[in-house]
Amino acid sequence: MLATVSSATLLGVDGQPVTVEVHVSSGLPGFTVVGLPDAPCRESRDRVRAALLSSGLSWPQKRVTVNLAPSGVRKGGPGLDLPIAIGVLVATEVFPPEWCFGVGFIGELGLDGSIRRVPGIVPMVDAIGEPTVVVPGGCEREATLVGRHEVRGASTVVELLECLRGEAAWPDPAPPAPVPATGVHERLDLCDVRGQAVARLALEVSAAGGHHLLFCGPPGSGKTMLARRLPGLLPKLTGPAALEATRVRSAAGLVLPGDGLVIDPPFRAPHHGASPVSVIGGGSAHMRPGEVSLASGGVLFLDELAEFPNAVLDALRTPIEEGVVRVCRAKGSVAYPARFLLVGATNPCPCGEWPTMACRCSDVARSRYVRKLSGPLIDRFDLRVLVRRPDVSALLTGRPAEPTAAVAARVLTARTRAAERGVMCNAELPADRLDELAPLADDGVHLLEHRLRAGMLSARGLHRVRRVARTLADLADGPDTLGEEHVGLALALRADPAHEEVAA
Amino acid sequence: MSAEALANEAYAVALAELPGMGPARLRAVLDRWPPAEAWSVVWSGRAMAVGAVADACRPDPAALAVTWRTAAGRVDVADVWQRYRDAGVGVAVLGGDGYPDALASDAEAPAVVCWLGDPAVVQGPRVGIVGSRRCTRYGRDIAFELGHDLASAGVRVVSGLALGIDGAAHSGALSAPGGAPPVAVVGSGLDVVYPRRHVDLWRRVADAGVVFSESPMGAAPEGWRFPLRNRLIAALADVLVVVESRHQGGSRHTVDAAIERDRVVLAVPGPVRSPLSTYPNELLHQGVGPARDVVDVLVALGLAGRLPMPAPVDAGEPEHEPEPDVDGPADPVEVAVLDAVGWEPATLDDVAERAGRSLGAVAAALARLEAAGRVAERDGRWERVAGRSGAIRRRTAPA
Repeated sequence: MLATVSSATLLGVDGQPVTVEVHVSSGLPGFTVVGLPDAPCRESRDRVRAALLSSGLSWPQKRVTVNLAPSGVRKGGPGLDLPIAIGVLVATEVFPPEWCFGVGFIGELGLDGSIRRVPGIVPMVDAIGEPTVVVPGGCEREATLVGRHEVRGASTVVELLECLRGEAAWPDPAPPAPVPATGVHERLDLCDVRGQAVARLALEVSAAGGHHLLFCGPPGSGKTMLARRLPGLLPKLTGPAALEATRVRSAAGLVLPGDGLVIDPPFRAPHHGASPVSVIGGGSAHMRPGEVSLASGGVLFLDELAEFPNAVLDALRTPIEEGVVRVCRAKGSVAYPARFLLVGATNPCPCGEWPTMACRCSDVARSRYVRKLSGPLIDRFDLRVLVRRPDVSALLTGRPAEPTAAVAARVLTARTRAAERGVMCNAELPADRLDELAPLADDGVHLLEHRLRAGMLSARGLHRVRRVARTLADLADGPDTLGEEHVGLALALRADPAHEEVAA
Repeated sequence: MSAEALANEAYAVALAELPGMGPARLRAVLDRWPPAEAWSVVWSGRAMAVGAVADACRPDPAALAVTWRTAAGRVDVADVWQRYRDAGVGVAVLGGDGYPDALASDAEAPAVVCWLGDPAVVQGPRVGIVGSRRCTRYGRDIAFELGHDLASAGVRVVSGLALGIDGAAHSGALSAPGGAPPVAVVGSGLDVVYPRRHVDLWRRVADAGVVFSESPMGAAPEGWRFPLRNRLIAALADVLVVVESRHQGGSRHTVDAAIERDRVVLAVPGPVRSPLSTYPNELLHQGVGPARDVVDVLVALGLAGRLPMPAPVDAGEPEHEPEPDVDGPADPVEVAVLDAVGWEPATLDDVAERAGRSLGAVAAALARLEAAGRVAERDGRWERVAGRSGAIRRRTAPA
């Protein structure tokens, strides 16, 4: 006899509805799964069989065929265990098909009959069209984020069957698991940073205008300390942005915060040994979002930028421009979101002491190091700031600086002004509307003219300077017209760490 | 191979190109025999029979004799010589025709000298300008100006074509229209441009003046060649000016060699806190004369009359009040910012703090001052630029 159960599988960060068809017929006893299952999916045969036997149910001594429709799309992961088990039970007439009309199932089975959580609950639930979904116990909060379904949780097959039969009430959702410190940056306050007026300003501008930011300075100058305080300055995620961040985290199998929805802007800091796939996303057996997608809506921090492999740095260029990353494999292609704020930190030379006299690097070593920073990637950073070690006096006696909360308030105001212009942040201002949205005062034009004539500024650089100046003016609640103060500061925030020494 | 048809110089460079042959050994060999004979002696492995040569070839003269004999057996002197002629490299042997007089009288004169350009241009007053490869903007500006002003006054600028001070001095000399030809002494072979970044400057110096090397063609820029190169700079210079150098810098070799040769050494005073001015300042402390500008150098050369005069200054006018206010900034913020920048590189933070103004106001003022050519940014730090009426005062020559 035939049974049909609704479920879903994960494709990128999106769910893909799957219909599980189970056919039980007389013949040589056997169990086949067809419809392009990947390895964990094909292994569900053994898990399903053991789980049902452990739950005190019988296994049919018949020929069992499972088809995962649409059969042309590759199915991944163990999330189809539960719907297959339900399908077998219906097809062997253990319980009637009506009980699972209008219900979708997601979950991995343990050999003892327990139902285990799987990554990607949010997007998979989103893909299920049935009004009710059954998810592993503890995943109810994630599943309710989608908001269209009646969500049921179950921890074992036995419990699930009792609830389906109406013999027991559906259990209450499990209390949210204590979340291991995900909101660390909440506790990192900008008031810990002494001195560093320019670097602080750059952080503020970066947060307010969505401008990519590069810190360059010797070890111990506070580059990492500064960068880690950036997420605290960004406004909380709302609406679609929050749901997108949640879906990505969910698809990557990461723990979601207590109430399910990700509202803190993510902060991702991959080590410089990261492989291109781990940063961009992909993988051959199981596609997984990379660091650029996990940082979407928040900050991607690349410490020791020049130590990253060239392949990784080059691969970042398209996501920066497009806000999505398309990962293509022979089996198919997926698009992951990648709208991140890139923050880089680098030493000015291998030993970090350039340009002071303490630098012990040879010219060759230094130019090789600096060459990695030059070229197309460096051009993507609207803000390039040279940080130095803070003065001893500032460290020991300086007054506490402005706290994060005060700066975040200004950032929020500036973001609101950007939203009134119809963009998320000033970094996205289209070039053809700059004359209208970022008009220049005469003294501002004068400064730019000198730089342009001296060949120190390209046409693209000019647009970027104007956008940064726009953000600076917004932060200062300044006028609509950009004067020399804003333009001058925007120019000063574009230092060139890839400066090559040339003879006079 | 008809031995008689080849010039002495051909054998000399063939000897110089042998493995393990440095300037001292070459000198020992060529002091003993004329080049052609020296070649046949080395070729037959008999060179070490002479005590002076064997002494120069320590620690293992016997092994070196074998190396030389083997290497010489593989070399066709005519081919070697053809290479020099194809590259346009001139060669002279100590005591032979065409050897520059300026070097011939030196106690440590190289046995063989090669050049690109015209060696005759060394005739005339010569000033060596040396200093650190890694220099500050201050040092580079001073070296450039000295090079320019000396060349304008008809003085040949001798330097080493290295990065930093050397390159700036030569660039300055080349920038003077109708100036005296520059003279360079390099450590590597004349076909091995080092540093690569100076390939263009190297060619321009060779075109306008001369580039000397005592190393044969193909010689790599090995570390030991540079102190030797420095003694040739000292030998060629009538006056040696040290612009910027660390305490342990290579300029020390040049200065020591210059003092041995009784040359006048001058040092450019620098900030006492700058690590790159420690050596010049120490020299000043030891009693070396200061090189504040071209006048000091010309006076040391005994050529005070050569100075191309700027517009005459009224004799009664007080010296400490030059004319900067004429083209100085009028805006009070700019004045404050310019004061705050100072002559040592300062970051925007520093300048804003010292000037006590907002970052925006300071950044705008710096951008204006930069456009006016009064400050310059380098590696994110701002410095004042030595204007024509700035760091080095243009003084009139003493009467």
